[in-house]
Amino acid sequence: MNVDLSAAVAQTALLLLLAPLLSGLIKNWKAKLQNRRGARIWQPYFDLVKYLRKDMVISEHASWIFSVTPGVIFLTALSAGLMVPLVTANAPLGLFGGAIAVVGVLALGRFFMALGGLDPATTFGGMGSSREMTIAALAEPAMMLAIFTVATMAGSTNLGQIVLAGQEPGWKFLDAPHALAFAAMFIVLLAETGRIPVDNPATHLELTMIHEAMVLEYSGRNLAFAEWGAAIKQLVLMALLTNLFFPLGLAPVVTPAALGAGLAFFAAKLLILAGAVVLVEFTNAKLRLFRVPDLLSAAFILATLALVSTFLFR
Amino acid sequence: MNLLPSLRSILEELTQRFGTQLQHAPAPQPDELYLHAPPELAGALCSTFYKKYHGRLAAVFAEDARAAEHAFFVYYLYALDAAHGFVLVRVPIPADKPEMNSVTDAVPAANWQEREIQDLFGIKLFGHPNPRRCVLHDDWPEVYPLRKDFDLHTKLPPFTGVRHKFREVEGEGVFQVPVGPVHAGIIEPGHFLFSVAGEPVLYLQLRMFYAHKGVEKLFENLPIPHCVRLAESISGDSSFAHAIAFCHAVERAAGIEAPARARALRTLCLELERLYNHVGDIGAICTDVGFVTAHMHAMRLKERVLRVNEELTGNRLLRGMACLGGVRFDFDADQLRALVTFVDDFEKEFNDLVELIRCNSGTRERLETTGVLTPQIARDLGIVGIAGRASGFDHDLRREFPHDFYDQVRFTVPFFTEGDVQRRMVVRREELFQSFGIIRQVVGKLPAGPIQTKIGEVPPDCVALGFVEGWRGEIFHWIHTAPGNRLARCKVKDPSLQNWPALSEAIMGNIVPDFPVVNKSFNLSYSGTDR
Repeated sequence: MNVDLSAAVAQTALLLLLAPLLSGLIKNWKAKLQNRRGARIWQPYFDLVKYLRKDMVISEHASWIFSVTPGVIFLTALSAGLMVPLVTANAPLGLFGGAIAVVGVLALGRFFMALGGLDPATTFGGMGSSREMTIAALAEPAMMLAIFTVATMAGSTNLGQIVLAGQEPGWKFLDAPHALAFAAMFIVLLAETGRIPVDNPATHLELTMIHEAMVLEYSGRNLAFAEWGAAIKQLVLMALLTNLFFPLGLAPVVTPAALGAGLAFFAAKLLILAGAVVLVEFTNAKLRLFRVPDLLSAAFILATLALVSTFLFR
Repeated sequence: MNLLPSLRSILEELTQRFGTQLQHAPAPQPDELYLHAPPELAGALCSTFYKKYHGRLAAVFAEDARAAEHAFFVYYLYALDAAHGFVLVRVPIPADKPEMNSVTDAVPAANWQEREIQDLFGIKLFGHPNPRRCVLHDDWPEVYPLRKDFDLHTKLPPFTGVRHKFREVEGEGVFQVPVGPVHAGIIEPGHFLFSVAGEPVLYLQLRMFYAHKGVEKLFENLPIPHCVRLAESISGDSSFAHAIAFCHAVERAAGIEAPARARALRTLCLELERLYNHVGDIGAICTDVGFVTAHMHAMRLKERVLRVNEELTGNRLLRGMACLGGVRFDFDADQLRALVTFVDDFEKEFNDLVELIRCNSGTRERLETTGVLTPQIARDLGIVGIAGRASGFDHDLRREFPHDFYDQVRFTVPFFTEGDVQRRMVVRREELFQSFGIIRQVVGKLPAGPIQTKIGEVPPDCVALGFVEGWRGEIFHWIHTAPGNRLARCKVKDPSLQNWPALSEAIMGNIVPDFPVVNKSFNLSYSGTDR
């Protein structure tokens, strides 16, 4: 294992700083489309600072699990982020297990988040946890299969290798396996980041919440880390989607010019993907909870077809 | 005696059947029939009106008449839609033995109102399926606030009584989800206890009356002209309808009528109230299924109506507009022209909104077959207003008992039998289109003349019923006047009180995350229920 320390520091900083901006941007765009002025795109930073300075209220019934959960959410999202190539073709923790490790680490975060929702034994936390698990049971396999599709095409589950394979001439971005896997991953992205039509990140109705219900009991520093972690997770998943399927412009070597270009390409791709997410949220109503598995099954089937087609089109 | 012919024939039939037990008390209004009956006849009369004349038990209330008549009186108000008349049956309850037989078994619509009488007057109920505390919660001491010997300014010592015991629902995997009484968002207090097996709701128990303010007691302690402002604050979203219902009652008791122009202006304001509430509700239903885009447009439209309200009456919620004998402000020609232009423009934009919602299959999928209230249950519970009209219960006071200017305008009453959230939204949508027409017609034939009839001191010991079809449903104010321009009793019946139990029925078999939208499709007032 070989960890490049300066790259790790740089990528950590990028994840920490970019994630709230991306959330703020999506919120702002949504507001604009809905005829509202919306909060400025920097608002999530101010929110985080505000949360960090506030006192925490913790239920007397909560155990240690409740308190460690925000840390686990935050750290798992961050470490998953270090395994995904963002600007350079090689991720700082690239040799650490690749795609499977990313999915596994994110699953660990989710496991703790569900526990954290259950732990204080409040009404809504438990409901959120149970719904989250129902959705995860379908979203995770779909994500795995979609990533395996790309991995099979590239001949490696190492994300850096996949990206490098993608940058070789003759690589097709829009062939059947890639298109199907991308569609599956996009649905998974909507589910994993709690967006309409799966969950509504802007609702105040506890009875309909999924992600928000699990973090409902958190306040102060705990809430800051839970929210920040969720934002980072969103960035990581979006980076996975953009860089795995469209590895255009990722810096193959570490030179200032290549890094600058890589950053610009990364930002542009994120903006396009964020725009797509906003459009979906803008034009759709939330699905009835029992119809969400249908949507995720569709993602799973798409991903399966993608994997099968890699062998057909070889 | 100038009783309506339809009521007169009913009176004759009843006299034949019940003989001298039933006494007819003359009332000045042709559409109100007052009958005095002995307590043992209450049940029989109830089923007669309910089954034979297809009446609705619109209200049950009591009055403390121990000073004058040594008895409490319990009134049963039946609305006979086909006969276009109201029947009020008055039953005496002896002061020394305050007990009454419940009619809830026969007419479930009476459930909460009978319990209210038990709580507030101390008249013990017999034969009620669930005779527990209702208005005054379980921890209250034994006091009966609406009795005359209970002073308004009574300070009760701090009390810590028993907590309410909810019914237990048991079974494998069944658990209870308590929601409220304090909610997220700016709404009022109400406690919902869901018994769920996973996501499907098995049973929903409601506990209201957290915001009981003793409004009916307050009415008895204010001079009548001041009561209009009190009526306005019974339920914020129906300020104008409540105020007008109260004014109707007083005007009927005083034997006067508001001038034609005032009645037309009242109609305009009632329709404006309907406009802003309906468009707001349509948006709120959309946001509860996550279609925020439509909600934002609806909120913009609602805001436009509120501004027009302010432009016309000086208040966004039309407060201060109603007064006894008419309205307080006239609209000049410019204002009326602006109103019609606004309605034309609003209709265009509202059409766009309707199209936006109609073309969103996801929204439709969420709304159809969700929260079904069957016509049978709606009929049993006496569900009124939009919720009733979406569940096959076709009645509208504007059509059956045209008040104000409604006899001068043409409109239809939309009506469906499916009873789901979608239909409750469509009823609102269609009523809005009717409202545009009503406003145009009223402005078109607005009579000239004064906007107020002088009303002097209201004669004592008169009874009168005031009613208005508000945007949510029918509102009744029944008054009994006292000497000195005061009220001996004012019963306020908000449609919410009647409709809350429907929520428990409509949610049955649905899943927990659909509750907010089912609740929103009824959009009932807590304050109007609790009073």
